[in-house]
Amino acid sequence: MTSWRSHRLGRAAVLGTVATLALVGCGLGSGAKDSGPAAAGRTPGEKIELTFWSWVPGVDKAVDLWNSEHPDVKVKLEKIPAGGAGGYAKMHSALQAGTGAPDLAQVEYQEIPGFLLEDGLVDLTKYGVDDDKSKFVEWQWQQASYGDGVYAVPQASGPMGMFYRQDLFAKWGIAPPKTWTDFRKAASTIRAKDPNAYIATFPPGNSAWFTSLAWQAGAKWFGVDGDTWVVDIDSAETRKVAAYWDAMVKDKLVKTEPDFANAWYKDLQTGHIVAWPSAQWGDAILSGNAPNTAGKWRVAPMPQWEGSAFTSANWGGSSTAVLKGAKYPQEAKDFAVWLNTDPKSIDLLIKGGYGWPAAQDALQGSALDRPYEFFGGQKTNDVFAAADKAIDKQWGWIPTTAAAYEHLNDGFRKAIAGQGTFVQAVTAAQAKTVADLEAKGLKVRTS
Amino acid sequence: MTVSRTERRAAAGFLLPFVVLFGAFFVLPIGYAIYRSLLTTKRSGPLGLGGSRTVFAGAANYVAALTDEAFVDSVVRVLGFALIQVPLMIGLATTMALLLDAASARGVRFFRSSYFLPYGVPGVIASVLWGFLYAPGVSPIIDLLDAVGIHANFLGSSTVLFSIANIVTWEFAGYNMLVVVAQLKAIDQDLYEAAEIDGANAYQVIRSVKLPLIRPALVLTTVFTIIGTLQLFAEPLVLRPISTAINTSYTPNLAAYTQAFVNNNYSLAAAQSVILAAAACVLSFGFLHLVGRKETDR
Repeated sequence: MTSWRSHRLGRAAVLGTVATLALVGCGLGSGAKDSGPAAAGRTPGEKIELTFWSWVPGVDKAVDLWNSEHPDVKVKLEKIPAGGAGGYAKMHSALQAGTGAPDLAQVEYQEIPGFLLEDGLVDLTKYGVDDDKSKFVEWQWQQASYGDGVYAVPQASGPMGMFYRQDLFAKWGIAPPKTWTDFRKAASTIRAKDPNAYIATFPPGNSAWFTSLAWQAGAKWFGVDGDTWVVDIDSAETRKVAAYWDAMVKDKLVKTEPDFANAWYKDLQTGHIVAWPSAQWGDAILSGNAPNTAGKWRVAPMPQWEGSAFTSANWGGSSTAVLKGAKYPQEAKDFAVWLNTDPKSIDLLIKGGYGWPAAQDALQGSALDRPYEFFGGQKTNDVFAAADKAIDKQWGWIPTTAAAYEHLNDGFRKAIAGQGTFVQAVTAAQAKTVADLEAKGLKVRTS
Repeated sequence: MTVSRTERRAAAGFLLPFVVLFGAFFVLPIGYAIYRSLLTTKRSGPLGLGGSRTVFAGAANYVAALTDEAFVDSVVRVLGFALIQVPLMIGLATTMALLLDAASARGVRFFRSSYFLPYGVPGVIASVLWGFLYAPGVSPIIDLLDAVGIHANFLGSSTVLFSIANIVTWEFAGYNMLVVVAQLKAIDQDLYEAAEIDGANAYQVIRSVKLPLIRPALVLTTVFTIIGTLQLFAEPLVLRPISTAINTSYTPNLAAYTQAFVNNNYSLAAAQSVILAAAACVLSFGFLHLVGRKETDR
């Protein structure tokens, strides 16, 4: 049952390609010596060691590669539990204790503001990270930028598409749905053709998925206005998405079982769930948990809301951050940029299986750029490359994102149990999220 | 009576290890939790990113905890849970112990060990194990029930608490049984002989000899169970990913855990923990007081 949580790995992803390495190594880097008393910097030729906390599969190999190429700046990797499974608690405790925190750490995009609030991250613009901006996909760069600062180096994300069982869709005479209206029609056809089959599940305990659907519909839940945090979960766009799934559940067109759970894997294996709007890293989840369905799946672009230009969304995303207290922030930044842009590092990380590189144009020639047997020889990542270019750049996060997710989960669970609707859950989550931020002593308004 | 200096020193020497450990791992953490629960964080600067300081908050965290609907719900939930769980647990443990103690019982050692065995399984493992038996699609129990036309959902909002009760009972009934068995073993055989001479049947022996004499064990196991149920944590935490009915503040402990490690609000988590500890204290000592008074009434 470890698989219950295994999807967290998927969110973590990794590197970018881009041939020009940032490296150059050591101490000569940028005139960034105004780093304050904590960061004395490294003298030329001095051998140093950086610690790095991460849970991303494959990152150990990339770190080994760095160490073989950079004998003077050794990186010591310490594997920690995935952020939501205890990794962040560990980082926050270390930061709060003022000792024991690593130099570098894996931080998902939605957690960055939470770390900023605890003053836990180093502003990398002091160490010349702006020079690396062009190496990364723009919206992902924005995910780590707050105010004038850049607080992490983007690593990976999860542009979304729709996985579906091509064999069953063909058997039932259904085309991959282009719009959400088509998706609903397909769902009802599937119910009619096979009483055991559903198009998908609405996972009531995984509001990160719902968040991505709202992101696609044009919602902008979180933002910053001057010195005030803005919360707009309960927007027209979000309510549209919530009402859509309310109707799907009410008409029994989707299952409501948890995703990433054994029952759901079983349904994927047995053809009782035949589609999954999900992120690129979902390919590994499917091939790992429903190996008997190899060759039967395909990927289509996300179904669209009518009347708008092609839009995808993102699910999951992760960065490499330099934590406060790091003795050698310059070298730490250099490593973070290398890890996420060096083509060899990226390929090692792709083989680990974590997701979609944050580096610009990383697809071409990488380990992702190939036909997949599991998907009947389809070059699935072409679909995700197009999706990556159609993601709303404005999306941001707040310091209490994890709690906001839980408020939504609680509301969705209640709705599934027959108390209220998803739309009401969205309204309630907004009120609770505003209260959370106020409880942290922050200025907040709704839009 | 006078106590010599050496005796005093010896007593202090024997007490010291306990006092040190008790202080370091009991008094100090509780003291710190209480201290922490009285603080709050104030932030300054744009977006609150300009630094923070910790200030005295008075009872603000307690007010926040007690006015939080979800937290109050969780307290009510575990109290309701205890109402069913405690009698069930004690009844079952006592019945098993009496059966094993019966004169005609066979294979006593085997059954005693196998009843006790689940206690050796850590709570998390037990929950994962039962999770497999509860999850539709992988559970043979659900498949079997399906085959005879019963569609069971062990993880729904109306059933999951009973599913948790089942895990807890499975885990701890054997342990509580052992406490009762130990006390049964301590009963003087002469009493049974006397009862036999008086013509008491097995039922009368249980009612008039065994039950009154194992009263201290029953009191002890009841207090254990009250405390254990209020502190319910591992089972709902493990079942949460597969159940749509368990939220992040399903039990008070889970709520405190969420506040501390999801929401980074250690002060509120501390306040919730202190409230839970106080509730457990009141209930345990209340129960002890209640049975103690009956004792003296006699």
